[in-house]
Amino acid sequence: MYWVSVFTEAGIFAILALGLDVVWGWTGDFDLAFYGYLALGSYMTFVLTIGKPTPPVEYIIGWHLPVLLSIVLAIVVVVGFAAVIGAIALRNLRGIYFAVTTLGAVSAMYLLVENYTPLFDGFNGVYGLVNPGQTALNLTYNGYRIAFGVVVLIVLFLAYLLVQRLSRSPFGRMLRSVREDERAAAAYGRQVFWAKYRSYLFGAALAGLTGGLFAIFVSAFNPSAWTPQELLVIYAAILVGGRGNPRGVILGTFVVYVGFIELTRYLPSPASRPDFGPALRQVLIGLMIILMLRFRPEGVFRERPGVDSEREPARPLPSDAVGALAPAATGGPGVPGVPGVPEGQAADDGGSS
Amino acid sequence: MLLEIESLTKSFGGVHAVRNCTFAVPEGQVLGLIGPNGAGKSTVVDLVSGFGQPDSGRVRFAGESIVGKRADVISRLGLIRTFQAPREWRNLTVMDNVLLGRRRFADESVWRCLTRARRIRRAEEADRAAVRAILERFQLAELRNELAVRLSGGQKRLLEFARVAAAEARLIILDEPMGGVNPVLGVRIGEAVRQFAAEGRTVIVVEHNLPFIESTCQQVVVMDLGEVIAQGPFSGLRDNPRVVDAYLGMDQSHG
Repeated sequence: MYWVSVFTEAGIFAILALGLDVVWGWTGDFDLAFYGYLALGSYMTFVLTIGKPTPPVEYIIGWHLPVLLSIVLAIVVVVGFAAVIGAIALRNLRGIYFAVTTLGAVSAMYLLVENYTPLFDGFNGVYGLVNPGQTALNLTYNGYRIAFGVVVLIVLFLAYLLVQRLSRSPFGRMLRSVREDERAAAAYGRQVFWAKYRSYLFGAALAGLTGGLFAIFVSAFNPSAWTPQELLVIYAAILVGGRGNPRGVILGTFVVYVGFIELTRYLPSPASRPDFGPALRQVLIGLMIILMLRFRPEGVFRERPGVDSEREPARPLPSDAVGALAPAATGGPGVPGVPGVPEGQAADDGGSS
Repeated sequence: MLLEIESLTKSFGGVHAVRNCTFAVPEGQVLGLIGPNGAGKSTVVDLVSGFGQPDSGRVRFAGESIVGKRADVISRLGLIRTFQAPREWRNLTVMDNVLLGRRRFADESVWRCLTRARRIRRAEEADRAAVRAILERFQLAELRNELAVRLSGGQKRLLEFARVAAAEARLIILDEPMGGVNPVLGVRIGEAVRQFAAEGRTVIVVEHNLPFIESTCQQVVVMDLGEVIAQGPFSGLRDNPRVVDAYLGMDQSHG
């Protein structure tokens, strides 16, 4: 059962990583508010599902909705929240300035949730979402956890298909052009802010979905369950797997969560120093990032650029789409006087690939 | 007149980068914009293409005022500009770079990419064929699956031109297309500019290479210290004392 829960958790975070990779890997925005979106998604799923609070517990809303509907609503709320932060942070801020602003936003949210109890009951947090649907499905506790793990992996697979389709689409290509050079993207008619904004909201939607699944997974949620630093582990996972490559991102998350976080639990922790193991884990993750950056900065799977597979490139024809390009003036390979340096270089570079 | 610039003025702090600059470009013409370093040529290009806002003055493109519009909006109206250094999208392939130049904006919506994937892919096949032809023309066809970052400096220039060609813009502004270019490549770039003209596109070339200007441009605008000091066919400028003083004379003393 332990390994079921490890794989379920890794699956949940892989969905989060897919969303974060759209924002950071494709669009290039190093966002630090992302874990807050997961937290908000979780909180919303709770307060929409678990019913009225009984004093002294207090939290907002307190509805009794079916959990699937709650997750959908939670995603809507998270996207709305990200819409506000994105509208402020993405307009003119780039690089480290953007990162610091989003970190500020998530820290403010963290402090608010901790200290303003009417929201989500402060430090106590919300709880009571225990295996929703277990009796309806007539499952044992363990059977439910296994079924939930399978559901998470199916959702992950669907999210992967969605993201993969977008990654290869004109949308994905356009986002990457914005990442590579914003000014050039604008010069070719791309609305840089709008492109970043759409990518940000798409990523936030996946974070909201992750939050909903996470709520079911942990069945209780309080501020100690989501310190914003946890996001750095997700970044490490993306870095290891391959930034910009959805398959790599999933692999990286499983490597980091299953390989590092869980396997290092078996490290000996002397009784006098119970925090030795967890601390060593952080060191190992840091070490892994450094080694990856040194020896394989593109990750296990590199970002796959669109490969144009047609074997022989079409010759320029004087008719159709390129009609106006008269072959004589373009100096194709056969025209005397022009072949030479560029062509020779072309052959050299082509050979090395 | 495709592009009309009137009394354009811009200063950075106390420096008048562009002062009361006025000139116009008729449709279909290749116009050279020359002047010594710091004359304000690149600033004019930035102001016209939306990469900076003028302090005052008017710019009309195809009859429409474009002052205050964002760069992407102006670009969508049919004005494509290049930068002094080629700004290729480094970690995209040569093919993707030029495909992005085709500018199928409608197909870049998330919703359409998810729901109309097959239709978009079919439309893209036609685009790819057109791009392959363009790449062939610029001798980049063999490199189409290479990342742009791996190209040599000269190949990056050619990629820039391939991208511009793919965009099929009405007005093309080339900011120093001959910078750091060897003579053989220079011939190709000259041909590319003439071909844009043959296709009926209007071209503005900002350049220091005067033989290049002489061989490609019908009209030349000379700027110095932010002002237009002369305008006309290249041959007439040699005798203009202000031009010789500001620019040509200096060039001859070096030559």
